[in-house]
Amino acid sequence: MINDVFTTEIIKDSIVALGDEMFEAMVRTSMSPIIYETTDFAVGATDAAGNLLAQGNGVTAFLATLDTAVQSLLTHYDIDSIYPGDVFITNSPYEGGGTHLSDVVILVPVFHNDLLIAWTVNKAHWTEVGGAQPGSVSTVATEIYQEGLHFRFLKLYEKGQPNASLIDLIRTNVRLPDSTIGDMHAGVAAANVGAKRIGEIVDKYGCESVLFAMDDLLDYGERMTQAELQKLPTGVYESEDIVEDDGLGNGPFKIRVKVTITDDKMIADYTGTDPQVPGPINCSYTGLVTGARCLFKAVTNTDIPANGGCFRALEVICPDGTLVSAQSPAPVSLYYEPLIAAIDVMWKALAPILPDRLPAGHQRSVGATFVSGVHPQTGELFVMGEPLVGGWGAAEGLDGDSGQFCCANGETFNIPIELFESRYGLQVNQYAFHNEDGGAGEFRGGKGVVLDYQVTAEEAFLTYAASRTVSKPWGMNGGQEGSNNYAQILRHDGSTERYHMCTTVRAQKGEVIRLTTGTGGGFGDPAKRPREQVAMDIKNGYVTAEQARKYYHHE
Amino acid sequence: MRAASDVGGTFTDLVYYSIDESTGQSGEVKTAKADTTPPNFEQGVMNAIEKVGLSPRDLDFFAHGSTVVINALTERKGVKTALITTRGFRDVLEIARGNRPDLFNFNFRKPAAFVPRYLRAELNERVAFNGETQQEVDLAPLAELLEYFKSEGVEAIAISFLHAYIQPANEQRVKARINELWPQVSVLASHEISREWREYERTNTTVLSAYVHPIAKKYIESLEEKLARGGFDDKPYMMQSNGGISTVEAAKANPITMVESGPASGIFAAAYLGETIEEKNLIVLDIGGTTAKCTLIEDAEVKVTTEYYIEKDTKNPGYPIQTPVSEIVEIGNGGGSIAWVDQGRKLHVGPQSAGAMPGPAAYGKGGTKPTTTDANLVLGRIDPASFVGGEVEPDWNAVDTAFAPLMEELELSKEAVARGIVRIANANMTNALRLVSTNKGYDPRDFALMAFGGGGAMHAVALAEELKVPRVIVPVNSSVFSAWGMLLTDLRRDYLQTRPGLLSNEHTEAISAEFSRLRAEAEADYRTDGVDMTSAELAYEYFADMRYTGQEHTVKVSVPMENDQVRLGDAIEQFHNAHEKRFTYRLDAGVEIVNFHLVAKVLVPKPALAKKPFTGARLEDCVLHTREVDFDQHGIHNAVIYDGLKLEPDMALFGPAVIQEPSVTLVVSPGHRVTLDDYGNYHVELNVRQIPQG
Repeated sequence: MINDVFTTEIIKDSIVALGDEMFEAMVRTSMSPIIYETTDFAVGATDAAGNLLAQGNGVTAFLATLDTAVQSLLTHYDIDSIYPGDVFITNSPYEGGGTHLSDVVILVPVFHNDLLIAWTVNKAHWTEVGGAQPGSVSTVATEIYQEGLHFRFLKLYEKGQPNASLIDLIRTNVRLPDSTIGDMHAGVAAANVGAKRIGEIVDKYGCESVLFAMDDLLDYGERMTQAELQKLPTGVYESEDIVEDDGLGNGPFKIRVKVTITDDKMIADYTGTDPQVPGPINCSYTGLVTGARCLFKAVTNTDIPANGGCFRALEVICPDGTLVSAQSPAPVSLYYEPLIAAIDVMWKALAPILPDRLPAGHQRSVGATFVSGVHPQTGELFVMGEPLVGGWGAAEGLDGDSGQFCCANGETFNIPIELFESRYGLQVNQYAFHNEDGGAGEFRGGKGVVLDYQVTAEEAFLTYAASRTVSKPWGMNGGQEGSNNYAQILRHDGSTERYHMCTTVRAQKGEVIRLTTGTGGGFGDPAKRPREQVAMDIKNGYVTAEQARKYYHHE
Repeated sequence: MRAASDVGGTFTDLVYYSIDESTGQSGEVKTAKADTTPPNFEQGVMNAIEKVGLSPRDLDFFAHGSTVVINALTERKGVKTALITTRGFRDVLEIARGNRPDLFNFNFRKPAAFVPRYLRAELNERVAFNGETQQEVDLAPLAELLEYFKSEGVEAIAISFLHAYIQPANEQRVKARINELWPQVSVLASHEISREWREYERTNTTVLSAYVHPIAKKYIESLEEKLARGGFDDKPYMMQSNGGISTVEAAKANPITMVESGPASGIFAAAYLGETIEEKNLIVLDIGGTTAKCTLIEDAEVKVTTEYYIEKDTKNPGYPIQTPVSEIVEIGNGGGSIAWVDQGRKLHVGPQSAGAMPGPAAYGKGGTKPTTTDANLVLGRIDPASFVGGEVEPDWNAVDTAFAPLMEELELSKEAVARGIVRIANANMTNALRLVSTNKGYDPRDFALMAFGGGGAMHAVALAEELKVPRVIVPVNSSVFSAWGMLLTDLRRDYLQTRPGLLSNEHTEAISAEFSRLRAEAEADYRTDGVDMTSAELAYEYFADMRYTGQEHTVKVSVPMENDQVRLGDAIEQFHNAHEKRFTYRLDAGVEIVNFHLVAKVLVPKPALAKKPFTGARLEDCVLHTREVDFDQHGIHNAVIYDGLKLEPDMALFGPAVIQEPSVTLVVSPGHRVTLDDYGNYHVELNVRQIPQG
């Protein structure tokens, strides 16, 4: 065994690099744009017991889903029934790894001789997993059974042999089988790339050295996090907010948090959050842990790659059966909206003590939009799914960022219009900042966006879900709050319908689906914004002359 | 006399040689260095020429590479630029792709657009995705718009309309009208810069090219003028990022093509040399003072991509530049990279660099932090007696002071820390080399590692051991390889055209026709540039970016052609193989072409490479001395130090050894054998004999 300090460092770096290697493999092999363009996935590796070693950039919203998936898997299988060449699949929302059924986890055990030493894992949003609605997303589901195929820690491969029956079952039960099976292959390929690389590292340095380095890596994560945690003021910080609607017309629902910072710990207690709801905006405890981890990482060390050691100092408390700790058979399609609200409420609680790390409130919604129809040229079914960019909040000394994906996203890319139009039966008429009121401040909130899709297919169906549709992104220190997220359909007859949550609303050829995202909250009293800066805002069209008069007292 | 100059951040390199009339071989390659002279970079070039007693009238051929474009971009020293785009889309440039690579930084800001919103104008016009013009552009508001731009001090205008890559007519109308109304202003339209889809990337590329256009144009014209005044009868050629040279006219029309010209010429020189010495599969590594750059060459072919970014890193989305650039992975690890320990007690090397000033601690110019170069010195790999070509006496006190804090934090000796620094630096470079090789499905055992740049020879053997590459090649002139490489390149233009379509029998004609159209365009462009097409020797290479139906990401494959007709079956098979190599599987699905890619070269006659003189000298006479060198895992050995300038073809020597030239140090650990080929390139064959006792 080579156990000098630098060799250990090099092994650790190689393990961390696994994340990037698997990320690359996933992006490149995937057949669906929701993976390769919006990178709605995460890849990573854990040790044999499921402690996160490395995770590849995708979105923040999967931060607690890889390690907990392994941990839950180990409660389903005896270690003796896990073999080299096995590949496991799960999308169960209520256990480790769980979010909603569309996000499928692939797990590959890594062996050295007969010893299980690690896991490579990925979780990706598949285009289709069946269920009542195209794209497997619904705003009206009342039970999980309507939301698609449900895999609870099944073997997709055993000892290298594919489980043909299971694959056939998937193929038969989804609307776009080629795409779905392609997503499955991409997940398996990415996990295998990682497993192969771990094998190489073990061959080079020896098993014992690698296992030692894994433990050392976790300890390093803990040390780096503690160093930052020490800098935070101890105390108790509380906040609450709402999620407007569950898709069935119920709501609003309350999310509460009490954050306690001690000398060496942070405790996020969500007790007091409303019970789980009839519609599909429930989030499981795994989702909640992800949310709390995101914010915890944002206020401690944002630089080092996430690993299990980074979260040893975080405790997340929530009784079962709330909006953010839902139990079976609660529908969970839109789990990410309460998850983001859980991040945001913790953010709002801590922002006053960390004005250099946390800006005012942002659009706080994925704004997930799905449009399906039949492509006018090819005659084939298309299902377009994408998140939307919006405005982020201002911070002390900085205007908010305009047109950025929400905090649950990350390395997420919008779909280029030129590709979009060739692929879907829609033409984009504008992709621009809007001028709704909101975000005024000494530092301005970032701008929200308006996006117009004109239907070129004979007909198209809109599914849309957002929060911050009635409530608005919060301002700080006297800054104005931001603006709302919503969808509209501009009809041929000149009428306009507004939606906050809707499932497969029909639009005819030539009608326009308009999506508007919120402007972020402002920071500080608008009257303090220097006159020349307001003049520049007017010149740039970020602020209208009327808004300048009304909010900035600028004539 | 053939000459090339490469303007770097600190120095301007000149490489030149005459051609031996009797043998047709190039004469001895000579070099000169002068200080780089911003902002009038051409002055440094003239200074270098004069310094060695040459005059422009002595030159028959002059190629030039410069960082003027990349510097203007990274230092934000371009001109005030405006953008004209399709109604409804002026914010595309600011929204960009909406991504946040710095995932957990909730106070993230994306980099600012190069054109502020008040200078982003919209016109009514529309082309559909299939190229059909739905609305001809309304030029009526243009006159007033240009007056506004003038009043704002605009000096360059970018035009970028949706789907102009496939139907540029509306852009052409706007450009023509601007040329009439305001002939002095720089105007670049997106279809002239890129014919690929993705509106943000194409728009940003057009904007950046416009932003540097007046500066690059003035620079090239000053250079032309100074050379002409000195008696140079021809026109200089400009090095481009695609590894070829271009005429000055082409470079002035689209200066963004010069953005990565320095690294590109080194890589193409590596491919050329590789072909000459029959090493067609190379992993190429260029280690400079601040960064290391690497790439992979397969079958003597350099990979050229249009997915290039500036200022992109793990925290910054950077700015995309959709222009052909040789595929490079660059990391912040060079000779001047600083070693440091973080609060978790982890040793890092780079990306901060001590640069040329103050430089490594041993330079004694005020550097207080240990660098990779200092570590190599401590380990005896660098000869203290010939440090920086013998010009500098190492400042050992400064080295000790710089190492002290790390020794304390890590509780290790100076030598152990130095070993750690070199090992971490090597690991960083190994990870970069892995990105271009194993991560893309290549087995390093099928390649040789060609290393150049100031630090290439120092680290190459250790990296080859790590990657299991069987051979290392350190070329002659390795410290001025980039400038030398410009003398080996041809005129090159890349034509990429997005035109998605299935690879099927009924499309064979259309595919062949598209390549024919691109060939005709290439010939016309060369003619416009003033290349004499009656004597020019044209060579074409055919590529396409292909994908499986339903996939987005493409693989670039070479397209087999026969009598100007595509060999469809072979093309499809090429794609399946390339896809499987890159992604580990093949699909039983349709194959589509997304981008056609034609490379059109005008071949420049080049003399044969100079051979190193052979006098039959004995190896013993080339020995300088022996000294103790620390080979890390291989132990400390009394190594033989050779004078590289005296070594001759056919000689063979074994590690532990160090070969020294004034600006090259080749470290050969035990067990490896070095030979020289006819040209004087070093070939290190790994693990050929048992390691002797140290």
